[in-house]
Amino acid sequence: MSGEAFNPNPIVFATTKSSRSLPPGVRLNSLWLDDGDHREEESDDSNEAEAIDQDEIFELIRSISDPEHRNMSLEQLAVVSAPQITFDQRNPDRLTVEFTPTVPHCGMSTFIGLSIRVRLLRSLPHRYKVDIRVKPGSHQSEHALNKQLNDKERVAAALENPALLEVLEQCLSTVGQIADAAAL
Amino acid sequence: MEALQRVVRTWIASEQEEEVDAAVSEITNGSATLLDLVKALGEYLTSEEDELRTKGVEFLSLVIGKSPPEKLSRQSVRVLVSFYCGKLDDTETIIPALKGLVSLTAMPAFASTDAIEVMNALVKHVRMKALVQSQRLMVYKIVDTLLAKHRDALKSMGKEFLSGYIALAEGEKDPRNLLLAFSIARVLLLDFDISAHIEDLFNVTFCYFPITFRPPPDDPYGITTDDLKNALGACLNSTPQFGPLAIPLFLEKLAAGTPATKRDTLKALDSCLPVYGPSVARTHARKLWNSLKLEIFQPTDSVTEQAALHTTQVLIRTIYAGSESEDQSSEDIQGLAKDACEECIQILREPEKSQAKPAIKIMCAFMATTPSVARFTLSQVTPHLVRLYLNPDELPNRAPTLGLLADVVAAARDSMPTDPEILPAEEDTPLAPYKDEVLGVLTVGLTPGSSVQPALDGLKALVTTRGLLTDEELGFVVHKINELLQDGQEENEDISDSALDLLTTISASAPRHVSETTLPLLFSALPDRAPPRDAQSERLKYWRTLASLTRLCKQPDLFETLVVRLLTKLDLICVPPPTTADAAGMDTEPSAAYAHSILRTIVDVLSAKVELGHADVIKYIDRLVPRLYHLFIYSALMSNGTYLVATDPRLVSVASQIITLVVQTLSAQRQETFVKALFAAYHRDDVKQLAEGHQKIPTDKSFGPFASNAPPVQKNLLALYAAAITALHKEVALPDPGEGPLLNQLLLWSVVDADNILQRDAAAHAIASILNKRTEGLSTFLEERLDLFWKDEVVTSERPPEARRQAISTWTWMTKALLVRGDPRGADLVDRLFELFGDDKVGWDAARAVGGAVATDKILTKKNHAVIKFLYAQKYCNSVLPRIIEGAKSSEDPQRQNAYLVALTSLIKSVPKTVYAHQMPTLMPLLLRGLDLPDFEIRASVIDTLLATAESSSSSNAKENGIIAEHASSLVSTMLRNSMIKEMPSMRVRVAALRFLSVLPSAVRYDVLHPQKATVIRELWKVLDDPKKAVRKEAVEARTNWYKFSG
Repeated sequence: MSGEAFNPNPIVFATTKSSRSLPPGVRLNSLWLDDGDHREEESDDSNEAEAIDQDEIFELIRSISDPEHRNMSLEQLAVVSAPQITFDQRNPDRLTVEFTPTVPHCGMSTFIGLSIRVRLLRSLPHRYKVDIRVKPGSHQSEHALNKQLNDKERVAAALENPALLEVLEQCLSTVGQIADAAAL
Repeated sequence: MEALQRVVRTWIASEQEEEVDAAVSEITNGSATLLDLVKALGEYLTSEEDELRTKGVEFLSLVIGKSPPEKLSRQSVRVLVSFYCGKLDDTETIIPALKGLVSLTAMPAFASTDAIEVMNALVKHVRMKALVQSQRLMVYKIVDTLLAKHRDALKSMGKEFLSGYIALAEGEKDPRNLLLAFSIARVLLLDFDISAHIEDLFNVTFCYFPITFRPPPDDPYGITTDDLKNALGACLNSTPQFGPLAIPLFLEKLAAGTPATKRDTLKALDSCLPVYGPSVARTHARKLWNSLKLEIFQPTDSVTEQAALHTTQVLIRTIYAGSESEDQSSEDIQGLAKDACEECIQILREPEKSQAKPAIKIMCAFMATTPSVARFTLSQVTPHLVRLYLNPDELPNRAPTLGLLADVVAAARDSMPTDPEILPAEEDTPLAPYKDEVLGVLTVGLTPGSSVQPALDGLKALVTTRGLLTDEELGFVVHKINELLQDGQEENEDISDSALDLLTTISASAPRHVSETTLPLLFSALPDRAPPRDAQSERLKYWRTLASLTRLCKQPDLFETLVVRLLTKLDLICVPPPTTADAAGMDTEPSAAYAHSILRTIVDVLSAKVELGHADVIKYIDRLVPRLYHLFIYSALMSNGTYLVATDPRLVSVASQIITLVVQTLSAQRQETFVKALFAAYHRDDVKQLAEGHQKIPTDKSFGPFASNAPPVQKNLLALYAAAITALHKEVALPDPGEGPLLNQLLLWSVVDADNILQRDAAAHAIASILNKRTEGLSTFLEERLDLFWKDEVVTSERPPEARRQAISTWTWMTKALLVRGDPRGADLVDRLFELFGDDKVGWDAARAVGGAVATDKILTKKNHAVIKFLYAQKYCNSVLPRIIEGAKSSEDPQRQNAYLVALTSLIKSVPKTVYAHQMPTLMPLLLRGLDLPDFEIRASVIDTLLATAESSSSSNAKENGIIAEHASSLVSTMLRNSMIKEMPSMRVRVAALRFLSVLPSAVRYDVLHPQKATVIRELWKVLDDPKKAVRKEAVEARTNWYKFSG
């Protein structure tokens, strides 16, 4: 964490609202407006499967904070974005998360990748297999980075390091509802 | 004298309180003097034996402390003072001597010369380090009293006093003493000539900065960190002479401190800088600015950042405060503000970068300092941003540039005086010189793209700047927004939200523009006929348009237009012209849904208006209500079996809300006229006074919803009747047939004639409302009729269970009507419900009703003029809760026991948490049993209750904390079970259980919950695979919280 910042003054991007909302009371599958007497989404007991999609994954990682600029999220710095999350066509349980370091010499890239990895490890069911990659051409040691981030043993070894883990937990402390509420 | 000697001897032997009192009373009644006492004590006061001497002086001090001050003559005070001063020298007597001096110094006969003597003696003999806290406190008390009563005498001592006191106070550590020492120091700093002692005083005060004292738990002295901080703060800013010494110290603390220290330092600077004055501030301006800048550009947290911004403002104000009057018109300034502005402008050359944000924050902060600095800042930043926006090379950065500009406009607005009475003159509107270019740039930004949002923010700030934009310019802004809304931007929720917000803001002051240009646009977007069933996108479009109208039309003029246009639309949809209605098999449900949405829009705007207390709601009793009655009565009469749009019960239900909202705002007299027309229509088939509209009501058909052979579509209209009844003032007389017969009729009707939930609810609401407001004349009804009703409709097993359930529901409403007004007869009605708990068909329904009877509802409300007694829910709860707890614990019969549990959960759901919070220890085991009941609704509400308890204990250290902790392990396993889809099909329960698990780590100490951590994290992994998105979201949240949870 010491020494010169890799990118002291990064570009900030506008964020979008968590989810596209409909006018109040609107239900897409109904002709009628809801009268507001009951909470429709919670009393719906059909348990029809809703698959995990790009947006849901993005929701999970967008508010991780940047290790160099703690008060900004990965989304604000355009390190992650929804279109950079792709599912394997043949195997729905495989997905690739791509991220873009703000500068090609960013020494924090491994750490950012690791924080995405840990967040998804904690938040996705077992069956998912996640590939984390740097956007092609966005980092000078792209190949080494990709290899490091997808090596199970090295990820596990990194998580054994208490100092590293502490910084990681700090970056992850901004995810979740409490942080969302504070942002509003 | 004899007596006194005896007393003294006894005291020396026993040290009893009584002896002191005896001596005091001797002195008080005049039979002895203090000098007599000294004589009596004689041998002890000078005894060679240490212990006897101590006791002797101690006794004297105790007696003086309790004696009335007027008994001490000038003479005796002087003798005693020199006596005590002499005793300060003696290690054995110093403590009782100090005690005596504390009392003596406060005496009226204590003179200034004594003060000097005492002070000198203190300085000479007292070694503070040798004394314990309470003894040192006495020294401070003596000095404090002397300062209060003999300040001039101490001043005359000059240097001797100051250096003497500083030596005494040096090294003090106890917070109790410091509190007093700080207040003494403040007096010295403010009132004494301290120029020779500045450094010493600086050392004895600033060495405590920043205060790091934390009171121990259960602190018996009640001294808080803030007490000390305030007392010290009052010293730090008491003299400008501290300035040169203090600023370097503050800078050092700011650079090296923890966030808390930084905040303390910034706060101290805020209060000290104005005192230290402009010249000190100017000397250290650069260094201060460099430190503050760091806190703003690389903030440790947002609170410190805010504090640093504030301190910057204080600094600028201090520096420029004096130079203000010289030249009003000049835009140029010198010094820090100029340098800082230039620095920020340099950073703002890259508006898209992260540093631009803090830079603009600083410039905005400058605008709230002095007029000249504000003028200068604005003259630097505004043209810069406008140029940047117009520079073709900066095209990609237009959005962030506008965002920054919006902040500037808002800051300029907030810097203006806020007195709403006075319209600011042009020279008081800082933005006036730049208005044209700013307005130009912002409206250009409205062209679709990422710059729309910041442009809207900027325009909002511009529009809300008082006295800035002309009416014509407002019209231009509205026109631009209309274009934006037409451009298909309504798809983008964020944008249309802010656009509407801006229009609403404008319409508050200039409704004409919105009503003339925006509204026609929106109305023309509403189709005359409902889009067919499969045209979802068109339906979504009209919903969006209606939602926009809802947002926009609260303003009286706009609402009037809205009502006219929507009523016309409603007529077209509900009673289409004959040419189009020919297709008999036409799908009318989309039309009904469309009409429903339109009515819903009116309800939403109306209730917002009622909430805001708008006076124009009243007039819609003539303009809106008759039209609605007309439409619905006409449709009911015309539909002989065929489906007419306006006969749909859902439409009736939403229309009834409009009627309630309007009627409740009327005066009692106006209601009286209205209710006559209402009764004429409903009871005597005379609709002329009530209904009014374009369609001709057929004369050959009769309107009689109370008739037993009335068609269901007419009976539905009872909802519109009840809607008006529920909103009546209690003074309003009900016309023929009068209250009693009417209630009988309604009750009978609800049992015999009502054939759907809408009708039954309508009847129950009307009954409850009449009963609540008019109990006086209804004792026969309450005593006889209800008894009969209970026997014939509820208890009897001859009626089908469904009918009995409905009767219980009506019963609940009547119970509620009485409970809410605190009528004791309500309790009798509740008693009957308890009797039913053993019933295997309706036992649970009765149990639910026990709680439901105090649930808040939309009928018996203050707005509807119901008679509501203060704290009725608490009273009710206090009376039934013990009974329920008893029943749930002791009942033999499991059916009965469960019914009690059901009653408990429903009661707890209905009343505020404070009512039962103190009972939680008893309730907890019962609630846990409630979680095993097979009813999902009950489980969910139990979990909600537990959640509320856990949430409140996570925010405070309340004692229910222990209750959650006590049951932690069983709660965890129950909640885990209820969150798994395999065991719990209800999504509502799963979500509730996960929310509880998510709160638990913040509600219970780590050491208690630690054993569960691994299990919870492992088990929740399974829940991450839940088919429902909402459940997964909660699971992720809960799991994240448990991961974070550590000791």
